[in-house]
Amino acid sequence: MIFKFQNIKTLFWQLCLAWFFILMVTITLKYIPFNSKTAFLQIKQTEVLGIKPYLYIFYIHVYSAIFCLVAGFTQFNSFILKNHTRLHRYIGKFYVLIVLILAAPSGFYIGLYANGGLYSKISFVFLSLLWFYFTYKGFIEIKSGRVNSHKNFMLRSFALTFSAITLRLWKVILVYLFHPAPMDLYQLIAWLGWIPNLIFVEFYILKQIKK
Amino acid sequence: MKKYLILLLIVTFFSCKKEEKKISQNTKEIVVDKYKNIYGNWVGNFIADETQGDDEDFVYSNKINIVIKKIDNNKVEGLSIVSGNKRILTGIIKEENGVLDFELTEPGNDKNDGKFYFTISGNELKGNWYANDKKAPVISRYFKLTKQKFKYDPTLMLPADGDYVDYFSTKIDSITAKEDSEIEETEYSDTFRFASDVITKINSSTTLLVDEDLKNLKKLELEILRNTIYARHGYSFKKKSYRQFFDPIDWYIPVSDNVTNELTNTERLNINLLERFEKYAEDNYDSFGR
Repeated sequence: MIFKFQNIKTLFWQLCLAWFFILMVTITLKYIPFNSKTAFLQIKQTEVLGIKPYLYIFYIHVYSAIFCLVAGFTQFNSFILKNHTRLHRYIGKFYVLIVLILAAPSGFYIGLYANGGLYSKISFVFLSLLWFYFTYKGFIEIKSGRVNSHKNFMLRSFALTFSAITLRLWKVILVYLFHPAPMDLYQLIAWLGWIPNLIFVEFYILKQIKK
Repeated sequence: MKKYLILLLIVTFFSCKKEEKKISQNTKEIVVDKYKNIYGNWVGNFIADETQGDDEDFVYSNKINIVIKKIDNNKVEGLSIVSGNKRILTGIIKEENGVLDFELTEPGNDKNDGKFYFTISGNELKGNWYANDKKAPVISRYFKLTKQKFKYDPTLMLPADGDYVDYFSTKIDSITAKEDSEIEETEYSDTFRFASDVITKINSSTTLLVDEDLKNLKKLELEILRNTIYARHGYSFKKKSYRQFFDPIDWYIPVSDNVTNELTNTERLNINLLERFEKYAEDNYDSFGR
């Protein structure tokens, strides 16, 4: 087997993703078993006690969104894309189903009650709408046989899925550097979590078209 | 008319008698309680004098409250309250030229117990304390105290012009810098956590706090808001990291080592909420998560 630069790069990204995926799993595990007072919910008691559906929709988001990250390991892997098209389709359908039915709608709902006031609410609501749209569009494109367009929309969709990780990463960095007040920080990372991801992916797509 | 005169006479007679009784009672009290005006809280700094060993083993100055409760036949009963330690004081008093000379001891069954020697003249109590344990990091302390009345007042606030820096939270950041001479030098810079002025604006004793009030606060600010409730009740803090914020406050008088039963309902609810947010801040503020 020959180690090409491309392979090493892929391996590096897969390892990074694996590391953060494990971190995300440990965060998700804090919510098992079902509990109305754990972790993030400690500062969400106004919503938990005052708005009946909040707690359940919050849990739909927590339990479903973690599965979306799995797509990152398989769906952009050229080996699987070439040799295991069936597997790609199965996982792809699973991803589309989870995002469209569970993760994005629940994200939209809890976004309406996001911490940090109007600015972060707008950000999270917008994020969930775009996430839904890109994923839906990506699905429709492949059904119509437009492979390239499908690939681009799915890249955009996953860039937003990946914001679960980048948002938390920005948080760690900014806290380390500036020790901001928690909600000032939250307003910032609400946008910083996904906008740069999207810009990055758009550049990548542009580069691919030029090639 | 005569009748009225007699009645008036009788009334005056009785009222006179009452007055006399009162006066005689008062004089009696004055005789017994000639020290009454020195009973109460004597408050000020308890400053390290003779020390030994490592500098970091002790706190240089703590706020102390020496309570004089009763003096009977040269026998004195009182309390010393400092850094969360409430100790019974007993001893004797001598009087010379209007200066009161005290010699009081703590029970002796605590490792921090010792003996107090002080005088009171006018509005000043001053003297020294000597530790029983001669191997203790602080062998003696001195103090100059003034008399202060304690009254719980929920509207008391931390002053707006204070600097609220947690000096006991040193995090040493090391920066390795290469000098021109190519010798690697490690520089250390201390960083402390500090609280914003929000702690001088929110009253945690009179307002029932809600999530929104606390979401943007850091852990230190939450801790200070919670402890200001205890400080208003005169709680003597065991932790030096809390004492540093309240000892310098004029209105703060340590009077008790347990105020749980004195908390109002609002305060109780606020303490629960603040503790919840403190825990969240502790677990999540600087970690990968939310």
